[in-house]
Amino acid sequence: MKTWDLIRTSNRNLFRNKLRTFLTVMAIFVGSFTLTMTNGLGDGMRDYVESQVKNIEGDRAIIVRKKVERPAGGPRAGAPQEYKESSGDESELDFDPNSMLLTQSQIDSAVRGLKGVKGVTPRYNFKAEYITMDGKKSYKAEIGMLSEGITAKTDAGKPLSGPNQIVIPSGLARELDPEIVNLVGKTVTVGYKLPDGTMKTVPLEIAGVATKGFMTNYSSFVGAETARKLHAEQKTASGPDQFIAFTIEMETSDAAAIAAVKEELSAKGFEADTIADNDKRTYDAIGIFKTGMNLFALVALLAASFGIINTLVIAVLERTKEIGLQKALGMGRGKIFAIFSLESVLIGFWGAVLGTLGGIATGLIANKVLVAAYAESFEGFSLFAFKPLSITLVILLVCAIAFVAGVMPAIRASRLNPIESLRYE
Amino acid sequence: MLEARNLSKTYSSDGVEYEALKNVNLSVADGDCLAIVGKSGSGKSTLMHLLACLDSPTAGSVLVDGGDTSRLSEKAKNTLRNRKFGFVFQQFFLNGRDTVFENIVLPMRIRGASYAQLVADADEAIAAVRLSDKSFKKAKDLSGGEKQRVCIARALIGKPQVIFADEPTGNLDSTTGTAVEDMLFQMNREKGITLVVVTHDEDLANKCSRIIEMKDGQIISDKATEAAS
Repeated sequence: MKTWDLIRTSNRNLFRNKLRTFLTVMAIFVGSFTLTMTNGLGDGMRDYVESQVKNIEGDRAIIVRKKVERPAGGPRAGAPQEYKESSGDESELDFDPNSMLLTQSQIDSAVRGLKGVKGVTPRYNFKAEYITMDGKKSYKAEIGMLSEGITAKTDAGKPLSGPNQIVIPSGLARELDPEIVNLVGKTVTVGYKLPDGTMKTVPLEIAGVATKGFMTNYSSFVGAETARKLHAEQKTASGPDQFIAFTIEMETSDAAAIAAVKEELSAKGFEADTIADNDKRTYDAIGIFKTGMNLFALVALLAASFGIINTLVIAVLERTKEIGLQKALGMGRGKIFAIFSLESVLIGFWGAVLGTLGGIATGLIANKVLVAAYAESFEGFSLFAFKPLSITLVILLVCAIAFVAGVMPAIRASRLNPIESLRYE
Repeated sequence: MLEARNLSKTYSSDGVEYEALKNVNLSVADGDCLAIVGKSGSGKSTLMHLLACLDSPTAGSVLVDGGDTSRLSEKAKNTLRNRKFGFVFQQFFLNGRDTVFENIVLPMRIRGASYAQLVADADEAIAAVRLSDKSFKKAKDLSGGEKQRVCIARALIGKPQVIFADEPTGNLDSTTGTAVEDMLFQMNREKGITLVVVTHDEDLANKCSRIIEMKDGQIISDKATEAAS
C-alpha cells in the first residue's frame, strides 16, 4: 500500500465512529490546551523578564564580589557563621574574613596578572537626596552607578559617555517634559548630603532617558567618575576606602578570555559573574517554573493517552474481520501496524492542533484583558507568549505520545492470524 | 499450478492435539475447476487455507507453479497471495460504509498500484460482474447476490491465476446463488482462472469438473464429473 493510501485509510477509519473519535480527540485536546497554556505562560514570563533586563548591557563586564564563606563541614544553608580573627594588616590578599568589603589594594591584587583586562571600577556607593531641573520642584533621587563596560540603553539621547552626565528614568523624564527628547543635553541639579549634614549640589547633564526595565524604572544612573567624586565627599569612616564589589572591563567580549578570568578570580576567592550569568540565573528559575507547570500538562496528556489506547483496542476488536481480510489479500504486518499507528497519531495530531489553537486563542484574550487591567504596573507585559517553535514542539510531542499509546493496539492488530480473524464473531 | 505434497496440519490447543489434515497429496492443474467437499471437520477448509498459503502446514509442502512455498518469507507469501490468488468467502467481508469501487480496489491498493491502473482494472472487474451502474453505491445498500458479485470482482481485479471460493453461495438463495456460481464458472472457462471451491452443496460441486471428497483429514475420493466432459 502506498503511504498516501495508508493515511487515507486511517483517516477514513477514524470517521467510522465519529463520536468515539471526537471524545478521544477531546481528551487530547484538554492535555494539549493545558500544555500550550503552561508553555505560553513560561515563555511570556521569560519574554517580560528579558525585556526588563536586556536594557542593561555589557558583554565585556565581569562583576566581582568576595565569595561568601559557607560554614565548613556543614552544608546547612543559613547556619550561623563562625567569627574569625583577622590577622590585622588588611593589605593585599589578606581579607577581613568576616566582611564582604574590599579595599582598593585588595582589588588591585585580585586583578593583578589577569589577562585581557582593560579597566577596573570599584563600586562607589553614595547617596543622593533629590533631583531637580528648574530648582522649584524637586524629586526624591535614586541614583546608581554604571561601571565602565556596562551601559543602560536609552529611549532618547545616548548612553553615558563621560563625567558629569546622568541617565534618568523615563517616568521622571515624562514628568519633567512629556517630550522626553527635549531633555537631552539639559542640566539637572542633584542634591546630596555631606557627612556633617550640609546639603551640597552638583549639576549633571542629561545624556539620555533610560529604556524601561527592572533596574531603570525608578533609578537614575551616573558614570563611575561622578560616583567616585560623590563617594569621596560622603566618606565617613577613616582608613582605606572599602567597596562591596568591583567590575572588570575586558578588552574583548571573547568568551574564552572571560571564562579564564572568572576561573582565576574564583581560585583567588571571588565570585565573578557577567551580566549574562546573572540573566541566565533568572532565566533558569523561569525555566524550572515552566518545566514544573508543563509536568502537570503532561499528566493530563498521559491520562488522555489511555483514552487513545482504549479507543484503538476497541477498534482492533471491531475490525478483526477486516484485518483478517486485508491480511488474506496480502497486506503485511507492517502496513497493518502503520494503519493503526497512523490512526493513533492522527487522533493526537487533531487533538494537538485544536488544543494549541484553543490555547493560543484563550491566551491572546487573557493578554488583552490583563493589559487592560494592569497596563500601569506592567508595561509591555504579556502573560502568555506563543512562539511558533514552542507550538510546533507541543504538536510533535503530543503526536509522539499518541504514537506510543498506539503501539500496543497496533501490534495486536498486526499479529492477528488471518484465518482466525476471518472466523471472528 | 498447485501441488500438495504429504501435507499435514495439526492444531493444538490446551495440550490437546487435533490432526486436521493427514498426509494429503493433491495436484491442481492450470485452468482446473475443482470442488472440495466433505462434512464440517473433514479438513476441507484447512486444505484450502494451506493451498492458499493462508496457513503453514505442520508437515509437507505446498508448491505454487512448482515453487515450494514453505521456504518463502511471510512477506513473499503476502505478495504471492496478492498477485496470484483471489478469494471469495461465504461471508462477504465487505466494508459497508465504503463504495463498491473502494471495496473492489482493495487488493490493488494493497499491491500499491497507481490510481490510473486501479481505475482501469476496477472498471474491467466491475463490468465482468455486471455492476457498472452500482460502482459508487455504498456496499451496504446492495442485495446479497450483488454483494457476492462485488466479492467476485474483488477477487478478479488482481488478475489472479487461482480463485479460492469458500462456500460462495452459502449465504444466498438458490436463484441468486446459481447466478453467482455461473459467474465463477464463466471466469474459469473464459479467462482460464483455476477455481478451487470449498462447499457442501452437492449441486455446486457437480458443476465443477473435478470433485475431491474429504473425510477425517484425508482425501477419500478424487473424481472427474460429468461436467468435465
